[in-house]
Amino acid sequence: MAKKFVISNNIRKLRFFANEMTQQELAEKAGASRQTIIAIEAAKYSPSLELAFRIADVFGVEIGEVFTYEVKEEKTNKGK
Amino acid sequence: MSYQEKRTIVSIFTGFVILAAYCIYTLNRYNSGILTTSELKPWASTILIFIGIGIVASIVIQIVFHILLSISVAVVKKIQDESIDDEEIEKSINLEMVEDEMDKLIDLKSSQVGFFFAGIGFVAALISLVLNYSPVVMINILFISFSVGSLIEGFVQLYFYRKGIYHG
Repeated sequence: MAKKFVISNNIRKLRFFANEMTQQELAEKAGASRQTIIAIEAAKYSPSLELAFRIADVFGVEIGEVFTYEVKEEKTNKGK
Repeated sequence: MSYQEKRTIVSIFTGFVILAAYCIYTLNRYNSGILTTSELKPWASTILIFIGIGIVASIVIQIVFHILLSISVAVVKKIQDESIDDEEIEKSINLEMVEDEMDKLIDLKSSQVGFFFAGIGFVAALISLVLNYSPVVMINILFISFSVGSLIEGFVQLYFYRKGIYHG
């Protein structure tokens, strides 16, 4: 069994509760590009700790409410 | 498509055109007997000229691309909202061209891949000398591998922008 580390996020939900904030608005406030916000939201990019804190700061919540971290066990076929 | 992807496509296109122009130009001159495998100097000067052309063409094409992109952003903003002022338009253009940590990471990782291919070319060039090929073959392998490495770097960048990128 191999371990896989997955970082998921609640940015879409938080944007919805922040008056349906657009990705562009979030990007401006967090000091990133819209492309990066889109990638983070789609779990295609894990932001640096600094950017993660800035995003949490935009929504006024703790970083743990934006990003969650879990370990998934993966079955491997090695040696079979 | 984002600004970064468009800029990468423009760079790939420029690199491809320069490489194709070099291949066509040198092949014609080789067939007509102006360039030979025994003399290295004409090849070196041709490559130097093409490096110069490549640098100038890249700068000019990037400037034209940025002007056209700025105009297109301004036109789109004006269509969306006719009362928008110049300051707002300028702000939108600047926001469109923001580069951040993800761009730097993609740049770094794609450069590694590009340099890897250029490195393979360098080794292949040395091997060609060991195998008693003309130094002209070596110099061409070097130039073409660096050019192809640069093109591959562009394609890798596009891949990362589409598929995503992770630390580590």
